[in-house]
Amino acid sequence: MEFIATLANGFISLFQAGAATFTGWVTGIIPLVVVMMTAVNSLIKLIGEDRVNGLAETATKYTVTRYTVLPVLAVIFLANPMCYTFGRFVEEKYKPAFYDAAVSFVHPVTGLFPHANGGELFVYMGIAAGVTQLGLPLGDLAVRYFFVGVLVILIRGIVTEKIYLHMLSKN
Amino acid sequence: MRAVTITKGKGGFGGPLTLVPDATRNKVVSVTGGGIHPIAAKIAEMTECEAVDGFSTGVPDEEILVAIVDCGGTARCGVYPKKRIFTVNVLPVGQSGPLAKFITEDIYVSAVDESCIQLADASAASAAKTPPKPGEAGAPKSKAQAKEEIAKMNAGKEKGLITRIGIAIGGVVSKFYAAGRETIDITIKSILPFMAFVSMILGIISASGIGDVIANTISPMASTLPGMLIISLICGMPFLSPVLGPGAVIAQIVGTLLGVQIGLGNIPPQYALPALFAIDAQVGGDFVPVGLSLGEAEPETIELGVPAVLYSRVITGPVAVIIAYVASIGLYS
Repeated sequence: MEFIATLANGFISLFQAGAATFTGWVTGIIPLVVVMMTAVNSLIKLIGEDRVNGLAETATKYTVTRYTVLPVLAVIFLANPMCYTFGRFVEEKYKPAFYDAAVSFVHPVTGLFPHANGGELFVYMGIAAGVTQLGLPLGDLAVRYFFVGVLVILIRGIVTEKIYLHMLSKN
Repeated sequence: MRAVTITKGKGGFGGPLTLVPDATRNKVVSVTGGGIHPIAAKIAEMTECEAVDGFSTGVPDEEILVAIVDCGGTARCGVYPKKRIFTVNVLPVGQSGPLAKFITEDIYVSAVDESCIQLADASAASAAKTPPKPGEAGAPKSKAQAKEEIAKMNAGKEKGLITRIGIAIGGVVSKFYAAGRETIDITIKSILPFMAFVSMILGIISASGIGDVIANTISPMASTLPGMLIISLICGMPFLSPVLGPGAVIAQIVGTLLGVQIGLGNIPPQYALPALFAIDAQVGGDFVPVGLSLGEAEPETIELGVPAVLYSRVITGPVAVIIAYVASIGLYS
């Protein structure tokens, strides 16, 4: 009898660590994310998609804005996965590069704007949880993640554009 | 009388609905807090039916062609679908509220504005057409008559300042409410399930001793620049990236595992930034064709675009890690 009880305790303890992690996430992450997401979602509904479209169209004209302003607007206002529909403003030959820039921003955005990719928060949150555990603030990391993200999508957009145009000319 | 087709507007749900009025089913009921809503007026005008203010006049269910509501997602949007009456919601509300299960695409359409309403195609329209017999009791009304009646009904109900302020506030509040509902939806449908399964995995890893193996192998790799470059190269390989991509599940699990190691002090916290890019070189590698077609790209663009994006990652994956490494200088020190 005692043996079975020990076995059962061992079995349950296997999940107690997981339960503690789960509680920590639900109480530590969800309340802030929920309030932040609601705030940004409301703001975006109040501004409206239509008012962003004009700005988006202007942003397609120049290489730098095409792979920075345009994907950032798309990801913040339309979120993953609808953000890729902004590709319709872009010239056909730049579409693969725009997609690459937009998709590469759906994680850097989550540090400051979790609403933009609620289903994939843990790329950032998973790593951030460790930083929090050390008692360090997250603001600096979130801001740097965002801006390095903008720089990376610019480079990615330009490189993908060059590779695509090269492949196109060979075809 | 003429048939109309109503499609959903931006952010809307359901439809398209084709409304075919007949001799009994010919009332457009506006249940929008008093008065005839412009959308109800428009539908009445196009179908040549009668618009009725549902708040001041009761209409038998079998005479209702369509109900127009401005429901933020609690009751009205479900009441009419439950009775199987065509329902048009002018607000962008999907299946929600206690009657959500009755709100289906064949009976309900939302976020409707004037541009969503069109005359139904010729075949449907002619099938529905019955010759009007003016003067007869219960006969369908002409367009002019319908318009006149709406004007009469709205006359003397000129919306006061307070009513207008009320409607404006109602509009803003309904947007906040919709934002909250969207947030809770994604929390329940995506965030919580992910937390559940990853905390289970993490629990088993830490209780079973696999955690120590990870601490001894991955941690040293993720706390040097060359190690992280290798991770990004692996993730960015053109034949691996589409496999690693879906739902970012792998990146999320690896991120969580690295987070645990950072928390334990096995990886210095400033490496969080380059690590975020190292484990994400494959982002969206699985989604290129879908993403491109969302952007209305031609099939030929997609064909060449997929390899272009994947090859680019071999270069830009490690480049991103180096940039992030440089940018992490001064972080948490």
